[in-house]
Amino acid sequence: MTKKTLIASRRTVLKGAGALAFTGAMPAIVQAQGAPLQFGILTPLTGAGGFDGPRMLKAMKAVLDEVNAAGGLLGRKVEVVVEDDQTNPEAAVRAARKLIDVAKVPVIMGTWASAVTAAVAPLCWESKTFLTTVSGADSITLLPHQGYLIRTQPNNYLQAGKHAEFIASTGAKKVFVMSIQAPFAQPTQDRIKSVLPTKGSEMIGALIYEKDKTTYRSEVDLALKGKPDLVYLNGYAPDVTVILRDLYRAGFTGPRYAQSYAVTGKVLEALPPEATEGVITVQPSADVDSPAFALASKRLGIPEPDSYETQATDWASLVSLTVAKAKEANGTALKDNVRKICQGAGTKVYSAVEGLKLLAEGKEINYEGASGPCDFTDIGDIIDCKFRYNKITGGKPVFLKIA
Amino acid sequence: MENYLIAMAVSGCIYALMALGLNVIWGFAGMVNLGLIGFFAVGAYGTALTTLKLGFPMAAGMLTGTVLAAAAGAGVAMITARLRGDYLAIVTLGLAETIRVISSNTIWLTNGTDGLSNIAGPLRGQISPTQFNMLYLAFVATIVAVAYVLAERLRAAPFGRVLRAIRDDEQVAAVAGKDVMAFKIRAFAISAGAIGLAGALYAHYTSYIAPDLFVPLFTLYIKLALLAGGLGNNRGAVIGAFLIVFFLESTRFVIPLVPMISAVQGAALREILIAALLIVLLRYNPQGLVPERLPRLPVADAAPGKPQTI
Repeated sequence: MTKKTLIASRRTVLKGAGALAFTGAMPAIVQAQGAPLQFGILTPLTGAGGFDGPRMLKAMKAVLDEVNAAGGLLGRKVEVVVEDDQTNPEAAVRAARKLIDVAKVPVIMGTWASAVTAAVAPLCWESKTFLTTVSGADSITLLPHQGYLIRTQPNNYLQAGKHAEFIASTGAKKVFVMSIQAPFAQPTQDRIKSVLPTKGSEMIGALIYEKDKTTYRSEVDLALKGKPDLVYLNGYAPDVTVILRDLYRAGFTGPRYAQSYAVTGKVLEALPPEATEGVITVQPSADVDSPAFALASKRLGIPEPDSYETQATDWASLVSLTVAKAKEANGTALKDNVRKICQGAGTKVYSAVEGLKLLAEGKEINYEGASGPCDFTDIGDIIDCKFRYNKITGGKPVFLKIA
Repeated sequence: MENYLIAMAVSGCIYALMALGLNVIWGFAGMVNLGLIGFFAVGAYGTALTTLKLGFPMAAGMLTGTVLAAAAGAGVAMITARLRGDYLAIVTLGLAETIRVISSNTIWLTNGTDGLSNIAGPLRGQISPTQFNMLYLAFVATIVAVAYVLAERLRAAPFGRVLRAIRDDEQVAAVAGKDVMAFKIRAFAISAGAIGLAGALYAHYTSYIAPDLFVPLFTLYIKLALLAGGLGNNRGAVIGAFLIVFFLESTRFVIPLVPMISAVQGAALREILIAALLIVLLRYNPQGLVPERLPRLPVADAAPGKPQTI
């Protein structure tokens, strides 16, 4: 080759010039170096999750667009392959098959319903594909997933622990827990019972009630027998409405504590303000004080992205950073390296692009997400998460704090 | 790609087994059963609980699932003895929903809405996912082939003839001395048993079942499969099942080619496309791709030398 160029004829020079002109005309090919990287997105676009899926999809795409604008990953552009999981485990399994076996994606992001995640997870770990999800059921991370799964949604255990800490911080010494018959009932009570004493408080009793009753007077009497300082109502809107009414009738006006989804606007409308005065509500929150949250808000053009949008932002960022860190894009590299960029002593970064820059300089990073710090346990649960507390005053929720 | 095609062929076989089962009750006997997902659930839970909780081998689990589903089918036939047409359809639909609600509330048994994970599959984990898929495909394809032969035998046998008589006119069948009730119960049991077996096969294939799986959407897919293939025809049932899986899956590859639409619009368009394909198919083939053909039976005593058909 060298010999040939040394004695280049006019013809070879022309050929070379032509080839140069050709590559010059197509800079995209040079830049992209072959096929783009494909990430899989499997999220509900139809069915019960049809409200959250499209918004999560938008948030993920927005992050990856930024990554592409900054030069892509491993010198390649990033593309997404989107499939609708129809909020149905059977349809989701078929869609995941396509993502894994045809598109051969290293990661699937975005499953929402717990049953869908539990159905898709075995496919993922058998085919060595990474999975990120918002499904909250405790059982998800207990599956034998060998590390191929992370979730950014606080599980029941984390939520109940945080609730107990907050309750103790309000000064309540004697707490009673009333739970609806649901998968989370017993685990929540067990967790609260074990955390309260460490904070100088105590669970004096707990009960599990049946749903759809017109009165819970006997349950309320049982709860008030031990004269609790605070009653924790761990149920859904229809039953919590009735219990709040019965508690008020029984003369209990002390603090009552419930999930925000159980004390909705409709509940507040249905009850007189006196019956709901002082009720404290809680919900998982995006980390609104984090710079990552501000960036997500700007990127999506919405003032307050919700918990799902911020979690989706974090998946796309975590996966991009992990690929850059591992210098390869496959499921095993993702599971082995994800914790190297999101926890530890590295420089804190709040967006994928910022982190990519530092990684390129050979620095260690610690991604802090829009939904929270994004630190994961060995089984893929997040270690910490923020919660938003409101207090009902005059029939309206008034912001208390995010902690 | 091969692994994907194999996995879809397994889905096709499971759909085909359900369509064959549905054909016995709906195609032969003319009883509309909108509750097949309920029997599917009984079969799936039957085998999952037998293998997971009681530690029995898979074969025993599948047999238990099948038998339980068949028993449930017989039970439903007795409960709905006097119902036909739309009334039967509504009751069976309600029954399937009841089974789903029970499965999400009997937490001590079915683990509630969390579902049952880690259901064993033949050699799962010991061989590669592709090998597992191929092995399972061979297994379900054999079962569908056997079911097809049995269903064909049933169709040609006097039993099938009586079911068709019941479909055309129950009273005439009764007047001809047939115990209509007994035939209905047996037909329902056979149909539910096949669908239950499909449920058991599904459980061992995907390793996970949950109440969310047993929603009416699945029932509609199988109903459409049978309609598209040809009601009353076993070959049509199998062809229709594969056709539905083909429709469901091929649209995945077509939608990204449509310019100027978002993923959300694409998902909606995909469902519209599947519906449109079925409407077109049934517009031009109202009896399905393979219409029912009645078996030709020579009648021995009539008009000597000139075989007649009935």
